[in-house]
Amino acid sequence: MKILVAVKEVASLDDDFEIRDDQLDVDEDFLLYELNEWDDFSLEEAMSIKERSDTEVEVVVVSVGPDRVEESLRKCLAKGADRAIRVWSDEMEGSDSITVGRILAAVAEQEKPDMIFAGVQSSDNADASTGIAIASYLNWPHTAVVAGLDYTPGANKATASRELEGGLGQEVEISCPAVLTIQLGINTPRYASLRGIKQAAAKPIDEVSLSDLGLSAEEVGADAAFSRVRRMYIPEKGMATMIEGTTAEQAAKLAQIIKEFKGEA
Amino acid sequence: MNEAQEITRILFQGFQTSSVYLFYVIGYTAIAIFLYGCYVQVRKYRRGQPDAAWGEFLARFWDMVKTMMTHRTIKRRDKAAGKAHAAIFFGFVLLFIGTATITLEYDILEPLFGITFWYGDFYLWFSLILDIAGVAAIAGLIYMMYRRKWLKLPKLDYTRPDREPGDPDYDRSAYRREDWAFLWVFIIILITGFLLEASRLIWLMEDPTVWEYRWWSPVGASIAHLFYGLGMGPEAAGDFRTGLWWFHGILALAFVALIPFTKVKHIFTASASLMFRDPMAGKRLPTVPEDQESIGVKTITDFTWKQLLNLDACTKCGRCHEACPANAVGAPLSPRDVILSLREFANNALEKKELPDEVELDVHGKDVGQVFMETLWSCRTCMACVEICPVAVEHVPIIVQMRRKLVDEGNMEPILQKTLQSVHKNGNSMGESKRKRARWTKELPFTIKDARKEPVDVMWFVGDYASFDPRNQVVTKSFAKLMKQAGVDFGLLYEAEMNAGNDIRRVGEEGLYEFLASNNISTLEQCEFNSIVTTDPHSFNTIRNEYPDFGGEFEIQHYTTVLKHLFEEGKLKIKKKLDYRVTFHDPCHLGRYNKGYDAPRELIEMIGCELVEMDRNRDNSFCCGAGGGRIWIPDPVGLEKPSENRIREAGAIDDLDVFIVSCPKDLTMFEDARKTAGFEDKFVVKELIELITECVEFDIEEPEDDDTAAA
Ligand code: SF4
Ligand code: SF4
Repeated sequence: MKILVAVKEVASLDDDFEIRDDQLDVDEDFLLYELNEWDDFSLEEAMSIKERSDTEVEVVVVSVGPDRVEESLRKCLAKGADRAIRVWSDEMEGSDSITVGRILAAVAEQEKPDMIFAGVQSSDNADASTGIAIASYLNWPHTAVVAGLDYTPGANKATASRELEGGLGQEVEISCPAVLTIQLGINTPRYASLRGIKQAAAKPIDEVSLSDLGLSAEEVGADAAFSRVRRMYIPEKGMATMIEGTTAEQAAKLAQIIKEFKGEA
Repeated sequence: MNEAQEITRILFQGFQTSSVYLFYVIGYTAIAIFLYGCYVQVRKYRRGQPDAAWGEFLARFWDMVKTMMTHRTIKRRDKAAGKAHAAIFFGFVLLFIGTATITLEYDILEPLFGITFWYGDFYLWFSLILDIAGVAAIAGLIYMMYRRKWLKLPKLDYTRPDREPGDPDYDRSAYRREDWAFLWVFIIILITGFLLEASRLIWLMEDPTVWEYRWWSPVGASIAHLFYGLGMGPEAAGDFRTGLWWFHGILALAFVALIPFTKVKHIFTASASLMFRDPMAGKRLPTVPEDQESIGVKTITDFTWKQLLNLDACTKCGRCHEACPANAVGAPLSPRDVILSLREFANNALEKKELPDEVELDVHGKDVGQVFMETLWSCRTCMACVEICPVAVEHVPIIVQMRRKLVDEGNMEPILQKTLQSVHKNGNSMGESKRKRARWTKELPFTIKDARKEPVDVMWFVGDYASFDPRNQVVTKSFAKLMKQAGVDFGLLYEAEMNAGNDIRRVGEEGLYEFLASNNISTLEQCEFNSIVTTDPHSFNTIRNEYPDFGGEFEIQHYTTVLKHLFEEGKLKIKKKLDYRVTFHDPCHLGRYNKGYDAPRELIEMIGCELVEMDRNRDNSFCCGAGGGRIWIPDPVGLEKPSENRIREAGAIDDLDVFIVSCPKDLTMFEDARKTAGFEDKFVVKELIELITECVEFDIEEPEDDDTAAA
């Protein structure tokens, strides 16, 4: 019995930052990396299934990314994941979320998990599509934005409760294996103490490359991506102003603004 | 005159041989039970982990003897109890020496070597001294009874703040019963001793070697006269004596036999605890060896033998209970109860012949005897408990070791988790970007040297609150100006400085502490400087006391000491005095932790303020509630905050103008408390630096409102 948890190391912005000269991304210097917040929850969900289960459950975390990603994988190992896989080849640079889904699906084909968890979205790109892309490449059932899960390892069905707009909930029965994207708040993620992270340094992280996965260079990277960034910029500040004063003053001010706007004043 | 040899007390006088044998059988049985009890206790301690406390044995021993002889620790904050204890203690010691002397002659020296000495003048003085000892002990015991019965001291109330009424271990009435049993048994032994003395005198009143010297036993003789006057003749006295003799003897022997099983064992455990006292306890927390798999305390056997001994040393005096800020505001923590809980746990689990299963040894949890997580998280590591404990119980290391396990298992407030993660990510606890750390320097009219790039005399370690918090930045800038004015050659680490780790360590996140400490140490080591100064007592403590364990040996001073010297050397001059009525709050990490009580007071005097002390000052200062990471955990709503409790104490001072602090966290806490407790228009809270800045003569005059604008 195995659960594969797909995680991402996301970039978070330092307070003041600069855009790269080519205007495609933020300058590396101003980025801090950390484990995607959603992935904390999906790992926790896998861990709590493992800990509650009578049968042996293996939790494997996988991430696509360069060397630095190891730090986030270590954190997952410190939280109790059994194994970590880091997938990278230089050709993968520039992959979009769908392409990353393809890479992860290739990993899943080798690992043959009984269940795949991914976060609903990543906090940096917010595409919310990687998990679903994995399912589509694997041709597996999937359900997104899972806020509650009832699953017994080895069972061929799971019940997921989903969060919908307008405060609606939905209960979904899904056949397994399946891909679930996990929503924040489904559980309380555990803390990985720094000592734990240090000790996890001793656990090996499997490194997997393009060729190991049987993928070709054409299938990954910027050229294979379905979307590409054209420009990154800081939008101009909104024009909203707060109107202060008594109600009468506010009304007068408002009337004047409308007039100005209509070109009457 | 009688022959000196004849003036003595004949042991077992008038006893049949069989009775004497019987007595010896009982005596040896008592000793056997006593020794077995000692063995069980020692076996219990040996089930703990090793501890390095055996070093410098003689010095420690001598220290303990001094503490015991002077009763220094017991007299603190309770003189009367200290004196009463001294009376009981010295009475008991003398009576013990007396009994031992008789045994020495009667059972050892005389039968083996024919040597005797217990007669004549020696005997008479001996009688007199022991009479006095008996009276002293009885007086002490009577006071203790009075104190328990009528003084209704809150510190002697054993009900627990961490349990609800009705919980099986809530009221601890067994302890109360034990206290009373002890007092009564002891006092009865002493009183029957005097009665025995008296009845023997009447019984042997015909014998001049006894009767003529009766006033050497003044108490016995007085009672003898009384009884005789009431009609007790020699024969009746003889009968009375025989019965009483057995009663007294058996009670005394039972008392001895039970020492290791009752509170009386504190005679040994408290002395040992004092002897193994660690003067750095709490100020320097234990390191964790790199290769050690687990961290902190999970099971009772994870404590060191010394900590297990500490548990048994506690005499329930309640001083720590009374001093604890968490307990004072109704948090579910009393340091006394943590100790007693663990003691009961240890007694249940570790006095058995076989060690129970690992699961039964877990000290964390919600069961009877276990310590609640909320209890451990309520601690502010203020050290008030360790500081006042008369028998050197070291609560703070015990609490932190248990927290280390909680942290390791993630059992903490989610908000604290966030802070820890952000400290790891940003190197500060304010959730701010590293780059912003030195932003406050931009508003200064001069630049401060970058100590990473050029050598400086004094390295200023600023700390998180002083760097990032807007209210504190006002102070930080003022301090920079003072240093500049005094011509000190100083510099900063700028962005390279990280949280010093003091509070992270006290939270129990040892791995993160190691990370912070080693980063700061390696940054500091790459710079050239002679000494460090900081305005933050927390950073001060850990750099001074804990960095050496990680290879960082630096000389560091708190700003109060530095400023004091600058004034003394004339580098700073006072241009005007302030006539404020002020009070001063000793920060835990400057005061109790590092004994920096005087420098701030001298500065306050120098600037002309009238200092009115709060009742709880210096070593008894009352924590603002920020320590031990509690500044990152919101206090429960509805409960008084320690800072409010403290501000109210200051509020009781008539016409107070300024509440002076000398710690960035204090400034934050008390600025808040002043508002929430409703003293906003009564007095202000100021950093000592701010007042000093008002008084100092600057070469370049500052615009008036510069330092007060943000306040
Ligand atoms: S350190 Fe302070 S808060 Fe903690 S138990 Fe001791 S007295 Fe109470
Ligand atoms: S721990 Fe120390 S201060 Fe606290 S009750 Fe026990 S003996 Fe007294």
